[in-house]
Amino acid sequence: MRPLENSGVGRGVALLGVAALILALFPEGVAACPVCFDSSDENRMAFIATTAFLSLMPLGMVAGAGLWIRKKVKDRGDEPVDPNRPEP
Amino acid sequence: MSSSSATYPMEGRSIPERREPLIPNGVLGMLIFIFTEVMFFSGLISAHAIVKSQAAGQMWPPYGQPRLPVEETALNSLALLVSGVVLVLAWFAFKRERSAARIPLFMAMLLGIAFVGLQGVEWAALLADGLTIQSSTYGAFFYLMVGAHGVHAIGALMGLAWAFRRLDQETLTSAQLATVSAFWYFVVLVWPVLYWTVYL
Repeated sequence: MRPLENSGVGRGVALLGVAALILALFPEGVAACPVCFDSSDENRMAFIATTAFLSLMPLGMVAGAGLWIRKKVKDRGDEPVDPNRPEP
Repeated sequence: MSSSSATYPMEGRSIPERREPLIPNGVLGMLIFIFTEVMFFSGLISAHAIVKSQAAGQMWPPYGQPRLPVEETALNSLALLVSGVVLVLAWFAFKRERSAARIPLFMAMLLGIAFVGLQGVEWAALLADGLTIQSSTYGAFFYLMVGAHGVHAIGALMGLAWAFRRLDQETLTSAQLATVSAFWYFVVLVWPVLYWTVYL
């Protein structure tokens, strides 16, 4: 069996180690997250706020629609029957 | 298929009586469409917020770009909001007696046409002042966001005109009126958000 340091796997591990070291030493140069690294506070806040806005908006709409339909079902008096409910 | 109950020939079980849908199909389809439109405008508003926050020297509108007519557009916005209220009145009138909805529906359309027309006049003045879609990101966002809303307003007005014609012919159903009204309410309600984002 070949020693690990002489194999391709060993070289890959070593390269990964070097890459991790570079990332640790120079994080600004490779930062892909605009929310995390920006010199302007206003810009960072805009990214955070719009991310929250665009994430919550569809959830809010779906939840609102669900509650509205639930209310309409209740008002009509035909609440869906629980299929697991035992027969009377 | 009739609404009366029928019998399965093989099983001898009765088919449940067909009931009115909980939400008319047209209204449901329009609501799904409005959901997508809300996300479209949310994307535009978010992009605008990001670009605004990156403006050089935090100066927005950018130096040398004409200022938007805030007061005139506020009056214009009022016309649009009133048209929404008048359309609500048209809905209640329609429920009471169909023919009573003619005047409020017509008034809502007129107010909507006034809004779109005045926006057109405003655009012409801004173009003359040098604010174009290519003059800056400020101009690009203005024409994109306000223009997208204008296209929606024109589409919704066409829907209201169609409803008015059917009302005249006494063929308009409440589901049809609810469908076109839902789109107009969307156009009315999204505008204050756009006004606050773009103009203020």
